[in-house]
Amino acid sequence: MDIMKQYFDLIKQRVDDAYTKQKDTIEKVAAMFGECMESGGVVQLCGFKHGEEFVNEMNYRAGGIAIFHGLKLKDLVLNGLISQEDIDSGKIYEDLSVADKLEQFYELDDRDMYCLVSFYGDEPLIIEIARRAKEKGQKVVGVVNKKSYRGSLLDYCDLCIDMDADEPDTALELNGVKVGQLSSTVSNVIAQMLTAEIYKYYVDGGKEAPILLSANIKGADVHNNSLTDPYGRRIR
Amino acid sequence: MIDAKRFKDELYDLLNTLYDSQKENIEAAAQAIKDCIEKEGVVHVFGSGHSVGLGIDIKDRLGALVPIHIMEMSDFVTKGGVPVEVFMDRHDIFERKPNVAGKLYDLYDIKPQDVFIVISNSGINGIVIDIADLAKRNGHKVIIITSMKHTLAEEPRHPSGKKLYEFGDIVIDNCGPHGDALLETDGVAKVCSVSSICNNCIAQSMAARIIELLQNDNYELPVLNGDKAHDEALKKKYEGRA
Repeated sequence: MDIMKQYFDLIKQRVDDAYTKQKDTIEKVAAMFGECMESGGVVQLCGFKHGEEFVNEMNYRAGGIAIFHGLKLKDLVLNGLISQEDIDSGKIYEDLSVADKLEQFYELDDRDMYCLVSFYGDEPLIIEIARRAKEKGQKVVGVVNKKSYRGSLLDYCDLCIDMDADEPDTALELNGVKVGQLSSTVSNVIAQMLTAEIYKYYVDGGKEAPILLSANIKGADVHNNSLTDPYGRRIR
Repeated sequence: MIDAKRFKDELYDLLNTLYDSQKENIEAAAQAIKDCIEKEGVVHVFGSGHSVGLGIDIKDRLGALVPIHIMEMSDFVTKGGVPVEVFMDRHDIFERKPNVAGKLYDLYDIKPQDVFIVISNSGINGIVIDIADLAKRNGHKVIIITSMKHTLAEEPRHPSGKKLYEFGDIVIDNCGPHGDALLETDGVAKVCSVSSICNNCIAQSMAARIIELLQNDNYELPVLNGDKAHDEALKKKYEGRA
């Protein structure tokens, strides 16, 4: 069978697995997010390197729920608060003082909760963000790959989503060469399943879900701004 | 009723459509990139907004091709002299601007044999179109990844009146719906976007096929294999380019 078809077949299989194994967790996490949003909170997302893909998939996304916000190291770089070199060298992920910079740069609120993404669950900075949130009594959801987990992120998490990726994260082999990563694609599918369940949470409660339109549809800016403007800098 | 199961089921159908309708285009793109790599070329990947995910997904991990360069939007600010206030302005969205892409394009060491992948779901915004146009004018092969349903349903925003797909030597349709969201609701907005998932499947299957084609030609694979010395030597080879 051709290698491209093999990848597509594997993804479909993993999408089924992710649904079967995690539908109860996804429902619980969606309800936790929905409760936070309904009580005036924002779900703060953070993940580094490939973990950022999950953050992007939930944050300000076409067909997504509006009340998420991403904590991004890139924002600190753009505003001269940290250097790109420290990101490239990996030093930044161990620098706990960056948690202060994130807190100072963004408008965070005690009603917020956190969704933190880390394949191994071992990056000191992400653990520090979780620890601070927990200390304030805020809810934390961790997104990790349980097979590879080797850190302490989950010590501070109320619920955990498993990326359910292989370790190492390569699914196919071509004459001994490992290729074909699944974790980001499966994580994106989990993110969209979460979106569907948050939508359901709103509808089941008799409320209208705050869904964003693609910014590249005529008239979308007006609709999207009406959802995000009440939150001011907390969301955008 | 909208729930996780419905998303999964509809996505499954969409992925079947994507593979069946686009396998030849993905194959053509893999062939073009294989040729580029064998001539010591680099693949420049540019996507604005959420489309940036495709490049991230196939870079800097085990099994990843090294000669891939992500043209980062943030380079406009960190290297291209664009003020951060202009870049982040919510009321005059930067990615829609025409005639600024040259500031980014000129930052990089681009060689004649290089190939470009330009990704935009809507394919109507200024910067992506200008990058594709610049690459094409400079004689590079351009691979476009877009949603044909979305792009054909919207008016162009570029002064040329053109859309991104018109600049492609090879066009891969990610088969996503207009507006990117898959599931119809009772209201105006649809829910659950699919472009990142479809784009990742395109990129990962294409990357695997490129590696297979390079193996068939007995070309030494520029692929990260987890061996520190090997991986560092490879990165050194493409330093400053990828």
